[in-house]
Amino acid sequence: MADRELTTLLTRLKSTPTLPYAETTSLLSRAKLLLLKLNALTPSPTTPPNLLTLARDIYEQGALGSIRARDAAAFTRYVAQLRPFYELQRYSPNNKDGGERNKITGLYLLLLLTQGLYAEFHSELEALSGEGGLDEVEGDRYLGYPIRLERWLMEGSYDRVWKAMKRGEVPCEEFGVFSEILTSQIRSEIASSSERAYPSLPLASTKSLLFLDSEGAVVEFARARGWTVRDGTIYFPDTSGTSAAGETAEKEKELSLMVIENTLGPYYF
Amino acid sequence: MPGKTPDKEPVENGGYRGGKDIADKDLKPKGKKASKKDDDDEMTVVVPPSKTQKQSSAPLPNDAEGDVTMDDAEGEPKADPVAQTINDIKSDFAHLDRAVALFDARFTLRALRSISSIRKRLTPDILAQVIAETYTPSSAGAPFAKQMLQAIGRPDVSLGRQPGQEMEIDSEPKAAGKNGAKKETKEAIPEVDVFLGILTQVLLHDAKQVRRGFEFSQVLVERIRSLNRRTLDSLAAKVYFYYSLFAEQTTPVPPSPQSPVVSIRPTLLAALRTAVLRKDIDTQAAVIVLLLRNYLSTSHISQADLLVSHTQFPENAANNQVARFLYYLGRTRAIQLRYTEAHEHLTAATRKAPSSACALGFSQTATKLLLVVELLMGDIPDRATFRQPTMETALHPYFLLVQAVRVGNLEDFETIIADHADTFRRDGTYTLILRLRQNVIKTGIRMMSLSYSRISLRDICIRLHLGSEETAEYIVAKAIRDGVIEATLDREKGFMKSKEVGDVYATREPGEAFHDRIRACLALHDESVKAMRFPMNQHRLELKNAQEAREREREMAKEIQEGELDEDDLGGDFDAM
Repeated sequence: MADRELTTLLTRLKSTPTLPYAETTSLLSRAKLLLLKLNALTPSPTTPPNLLTLARDIYEQGALGSIRARDAAAFTRYVAQLRPFYELQRYSPNNKDGGERNKITGLYLLLLLTQGLYAEFHSELEALSGEGGLDEVEGDRYLGYPIRLERWLMEGSYDRVWKAMKRGEVPCEEFGVFSEILTSQIRSEIASSSERAYPSLPLASTKSLLFLDSEGAVVEFARARGWTVRDGTIYFPDTSGTSAAGETAEKEKELSLMVIENTLGPYYF
Repeated sequence: MPGKTPDKEPVENGGYRGGKDIADKDLKPKGKKASKKDDDDEMTVVVPPSKTQKQSSAPLPNDAEGDVTMDDAEGEPKADPVAQTINDIKSDFAHLDRAVALFDARFTLRALRSISSIRKRLTPDILAQVIAETYTPSSAGAPFAKQMLQAIGRPDVSLGRQPGQEMEIDSEPKAAGKNGAKKETKEAIPEVDVFLGILTQVLLHDAKQVRRGFEFSQVLVERIRSLNRRTLDSLAAKVYFYYSLFAEQTTPVPPSPQSPVVSIRPTLLAALRTAVLRKDIDTQAAVIVLLLRNYLSTSHISQADLLVSHTQFPENAANNQVARFLYYLGRTRAIQLRYTEAHEHLTAATRKAPSSACALGFSQTATKLLLVVELLMGDIPDRATFRQPTMETALHPYFLLVQAVRVGNLEDFETIIADHADTFRRDGTYTLILRLRQNVIKTGIRMMSLSYSRISLRDICIRLHLGSEETAEYIVAKAIRDGVIEATLDREKGFMKSKEVGDVYATREPGEAFHDRIRACLALHDESVKAMRFPMNQHRLELKNAQEAREREREMAKEIQEGELDEDDLGGDFDAM
């Protein structure tokens, strides 16, 4: 009775991904109540397999829905709820249907990446590579994507990241949600490296460097970062020279303090 | 209790005073000095197998271990190994008795240490015999003894047997009589139960009977949890160790989530809780280490991290446990990209690792991880690390890796990873090594920046096998920002121009390195002071002496007053009285 109602709810959720977020959440909370009645809200080894699959699908829809609505907190919650389901199902011999596990995990990895939580990212990766070979993980359409992005970001090959986000390389539309965040992230990365690397840059090449659409956007971006634009060239503020006098004095003081501390420290503190 | 000590010595000494004759051909002195086992002064005598029928099942003591003490070997008759092993085990009972009576953990540790020498000679029959002689059918430990017998596959041995025939012939009549008498008057203490339990575990482990060992360990752990005796602490730590070892080896082995390692977590956590509440440092340290190992075996990094942040590793835990703990902690931190901390922990772990050959595996594993972490931090490990004779072969793939990273050759790096992927995977360093790619690129850029004052981006791109000039430009820009190199880029002409390199000695770096070393030395000093042991109650003895001296003085003063003693007889400074 209750599980039939669940199935109808699930098909409604699945068939209409464009449903407004508010409506999706109301459907989901109804589904969760039903799950609670069926005692399948949290999985246990004794839960019947078909119910397990049903509950997992509900949560997966919830996770995907929250990603579409850009609700990172809700998504993280769903991922945490889904984890025991995956753990239970993966090693049961009569279950070939893995659900959307890789997709959800891939999205989660990407979320961690955009939030700059590299430690969690790598912990998650370690867990993935622990169960199957890392090559297998990298070869996966959904999982390989965030892993490649991370590697390029660390290396500094921003143009590859950019290409991966643009040219229909994104594995599915949910992954596209993160493109925007990633773009602004790599843009500020590039900007901060450029400040140190170039003495000056022509506007035209800055445009291509920062993946901006027009020179007007470049000027706006330059203003936001406090760069000076003169005769079609951007001059970066000399970070090392500006506050040199004050800084050296500060450094001197710090240095002498350090020397005193290192000399006396072991004996008096 | 202390009165027992003298007659116990022969038993401790491996029973070589035992009376049975062994043909000379069996003696075969190996011409080696007997190896000293740990701190024990006693020499362990391992006699080559003789003709008793028990030998058929006994593992042959291999020649390297078949040391015979030269002086005793010549004249004195030899005990046969079975009886001697039994004697050894029984002498450990005496240690345990003393540990309980004097409440001194050192005796328990001594008993535990002897396991490694007993282990080589242990057979189900020997153990069954000891169990049978230790328990009577009516004693409280009898059900447990039955379980042990069941586990070692000798369920039909009946309890309460008097020391067997061989025993009576072999050992000195007095010792045998004493052993016999003791058993009649006294119930086996729980420490002895657990000690025999550990021997059972060891036996099953050596016989590769993993599943049976795991089942028995569960029983044993239950028994330990029902007892609350402080003298059991170090024994309990050992029991948990084997418990988790069995769980790890039972199929499906980790990292499969169905492996028993997952199911023993609640038990271990409960043990940890109890140990903390009882201030049971041995178990606490052992269980924390086991849990960490457990989590890492299934790649549950975040759980391991949480465990570390919510527990406090006991400060005065055994050195080996500290080393293990530091290793696992270092591993967790390395995965979490906290390389500086990881480096600190792993360095400490490698330094604390025992230098004896039996712990070589640990040192190797820790060193491997340490090397990778050093590389990740951008340092190049010391060449001397790879030259140590014990490590050379094990570290060879890492040596090649370091070479590739040092030169900044991306191509070599990729081939080494491909060639040794299996080794790296087995060592659990593969994912970490994959992260090194960016370091290789950075080193490559640094090398180029040092060798050329100006180099085109195209050349950089070709040398480092990067996809395109654009990629090269971004990478170089990032390297400049991260402070890897001192250089500027020229976009229009497409080259990188290096700045002059400053003098390292003008910076604070040498001072910092020096300070680091001083700090390490001071920490070592502090730890050494803390690790010293002082005899208990020594100060009271002094107090007593002082009191006696005062008493004497008072008497003298009295005598002086009574005029019986001349002041001249005493020292001049007595005037002060």
